[in-house]
Amino acid sequence: MSVQQPTFNPRRLRKTVLDMAYAGSTVHIGCAFSIIDLLAVLYRDHLRYPGNNPIAVDRDYFVLSKGHGVMAQYACMRELGWLPEEAFSGYFADGSELKGLSDSRVRGLEVTSGSLGHGFSVGVGMAFGAQLRGTNQKTYVLVGDGEINEGPIWEGALCAAHHRMKNLMLIVDENGLQAMGETKDVLELGSIQAKFESFGFVGASVDGHNEHDIDLAIRKLWATPSDRPKVLIARTIKGKGVPFMENNNIWHYTRLNAETYAKAVAAVTRGTDL
Amino acid sequence: MRDAFSKALVDLAKADPNVLLLTGDHGYALFDEFRRVCPKQYINAGIAEQNMVGMAAGLARTGFRPIVYGLSAFIPIRVLEQIKLDVAHDNLPVIFIGDGAGFVYSHLGTSHQSTEDIACSRAIADLQVYSPADEFEMTFCMHAAYRVRAPVYLRVGKSDRAPVHAQALNCSLGQLLSLKLGERGGVTFIATGSLVRCALDIAGTTFPGASVWSAPFIKPIDEAQISAICRDSQTVVTLEEHSIYGGLGSLVAEVTSATAPVRLLRIGVKDRFSMHCGSYDYLLKEHGLDRMSIEKKLTSFLSPNSSALCE
Repeated sequence: MSVQQPTFNPRRLRKTVLDMAYAGSTVHIGCAFSIIDLLAVLYRDHLRYPGNNPIAVDRDYFVLSKGHGVMAQYACMRELGWLPEEAFSGYFADGSELKGLSDSRVRGLEVTSGSLGHGFSVGVGMAFGAQLRGTNQKTYVLVGDGEINEGPIWEGALCAAHHRMKNLMLIVDENGLQAMGETKDVLELGSIQAKFESFGFVGASVDGHNEHDIDLAIRKLWATPSDRPKVLIARTIKGKGVPFMENNNIWHYTRLNAETYAKAVAAVTRGTDL
Repeated sequence: MRDAFSKALVDLAKADPNVLLLTGDHGYALFDEFRRVCPKQYINAGIAEQNMVGMAAGLARTGFRPIVYGLSAFIPIRVLEQIKLDVAHDNLPVIFIGDGAGFVYSHLGTSHQSTEDIACSRAIADLQVYSPADEFEMTFCMHAAYRVRAPVYLRVGKSDRAPVHAQALNCSLGQLLSLKLGERGGVTFIATGSLVRCALDIAGTTFPGASVWSAPFIKPIDEAQISAICRDSQTVVTLEEHSIYGGLGSLVAEVTSATAPVRLLRIGVKDRFSMHCGSYDYLLKEHGLDRMSIEKKLTSFLSPNSSALCE
């Protein structure tokens, strides 16, 4: 589907994710739902793709470092008309293009992620490249809170702060859950914002499902008169939008059946035609 | 060879402002000239190799030509996954320099010694692997790595051996280079890196009828040429300061077994770490890679009742 003025209606984005997850019998639905409102705001109000070209040389960069949330990104790319309908109805079919994790060979995905802790460093390099060239491109990197267990995240944080990458915004999807349990029980993170601020970032936090607040927080961070990289801690709910999935970690792994698909679709559409 | 590396680096950076040198806080003194001539193209990424390689991928995506320098124990070994996923998967033009390969850091022990880097890197799809033996091969490899616009791992081993070539090379990527033509149907050495000089020395004295080839390119490599060399030989000996698993010897075995079976003696590091500390020459001896040990192994291999396939 390609619309003239994509609205990135989060309910439609969630419906797209459910449709493709059901078609492909895939996992990681909860992981996509926790970031989908963030992506709606980014794609609608912030990311610049001149000529609606996903590989325009002067585009902003959006790096999905938590590659397992990629269905949320596919749903946004669908709004932009970057992907054919068959990519969704035939998700995970033999020989199909879209994988279960971000793969940069797909136009519109900047990095190959899924192995965690990679995308941030690549994004740091892209922000550095734009800085060295003196362009006004912005780089956004989205990581999961579980993902920041990875060492290279902190190497990248040192590097971005040291080089004063003011054109870089790290967004942390703080849903409090990782694959095997609550982040506080696996490796206690404490205040993620304070950690990045201590590395030299300018930080803010926001309700990661309130589009208005997300938009405002991003604008305020960019408007900060500072040469520092930015970090936005988005407090989110894994599985947000479908009550039986919310904060239920089994939706990291569980596949939809006809019944759960119908219930989930009813929850996100509320009977409306999206 | 280090001077040739430094000069090639400076020449490339002067000619193309997109060339950036990234180092993981290594290369003291080696980059003095580079920093003097191209200070804006020098980035010390700190002791943070994983981020350095990811960042290099990002810089390459924005049109830069990163050259990532480190010790081969770290580049590529420590960052193998970053090289695979961030760089090689998307065929980004990043050149990785792994210095001090083999037993160069003979006194420092296993953490700084590197005898598995060829095996690991050549298994990564779309990653080219070069292993120059002297200043002429180094110059050629550096410029080839820049021209090819693909991910390249360039292995730099012991660099103070006498040159094996007399002049600048005129060859093509993947080619094995003939250094000495011996008797047809006799013993042929195929060596890479630091041990090419040793092969030449042996073929100049103890085995005067032997042929010697240098393999500065591990991947790509001209397989038809390897087959032809093996067809012309009664015995082939591969020499490398690297594990006998997965390196040049394995590569030659893979090719010859399919196309031109020949008796093959793979000389390299057996499946072991260094036991002791000492000079570079001492450590070569410990691993049986000094000239005398190699000659002994070859003599034994050539004796009628030998059944050894590798030493």
